[in-house]
Amino acid sequence: MAAWNDESAGAEEREDRRLLERVSRGDEAALRGLYDRFGERILRYVYTLLHNRHLAEEVVQETMVAAWNGAGRFGGRSKVSTWLFGIARHRAMDLLRREIRGERVPDVVLTIPDPAPAVERREHVLSALSGLPDDQREVVFLTFYEGLSYKEIAATLEIPEGTVKSRMYHAKRKLAEALT
Amino acid sequence: MRRCDEVRELIPWYVEGNLEGDEARDVAAHVATCAACVRDVAEMVRLRADVRDAIRGIEGLSEKVWGRVRERTGGRRLAQLDVGSFVLGFRLGASMVRGWVPVRGDLQVLGRNIKLFERRKGGSR
Repeated sequence: MAAWNDESAGAEEREDRRLLERVSRGDEAALRGLYDRFGERILRYVYTLLHNRHLAEEVVQETMVAAWNGAGRFGGRSKVSTWLFGIARHRAMDLLRREIRGERVPDVVLTIPDPAPAVERREHVLSALSGLPDDQREVVFLTFYEGLSYKEIAATLEIPEGTVKSRMYHAKRKLAEALT
Repeated sequence: MRRCDEVRELIPWYVEGNLEGDEARDVAAHVATCAACVRDVAEMVRLRADVRDAIRGIEGLSEKVWGRVRERTGGRRLAQLDVGSFVLGFRLGASMVRGWVPVRGDLQVLGRNIKLFERRKGGSR
């Protein structure tokens, strides 16, 4: 627990750690703070893996409950975001395995509420992303949306750094083809 | 000096500003003198903007998700007793929620909680 107040961490990370420390003491307002900071990011991350709104929301819920129950076990060796995304990923994979066993939840595609002309481009890009294998799409999301380094992605996904680079290499080739 | 193929596999993180030390310097030095890799950087900047914009457009969370989290976390934790191990254990917990004290017992199997009982306002369930 020595890393709660790690001075080398950035301001955002220090705030995340302060919230998590309060969560470990049972402070529900802090859990709400963590939910506000990470809920939608986790939803979007999981949606890129599962393509299912119900399941993505379930994973957000499970991740927050896991954070509530397990905040005291956060060792501080990673960013809070890496820890939470790791939990979310494990929960998402559990749900995928359940789905493969036939316990499928009806799919509801997340909609894009913005009526602006840019919607068409967004849909085109989302469609291109959907065409990627799951493992490549995940690396694209973590790189460009979450802004993680390849080292952080390797730690989050528990894969070698070379594999992260290779997945991104193949993903960018496919996306470039789909979007030109 | 790094080769083009070595640089290109780092360009996604270069445009994110997520390379450090020697890697960042090497990629910047290579890109400054290589027209093909400059084109790759420009393509990556466009791709990054497209991906971020598309993902931001995904509809956000509904408030009911927080409601379900709230139901399962049950307010400020007053006491918690854990018996057993990660493989099989039992957790008894009491919380404080706006002046009343729900008590809940969970069986824990391989780190997952299975609710056994919960005493809440208005009776057990």
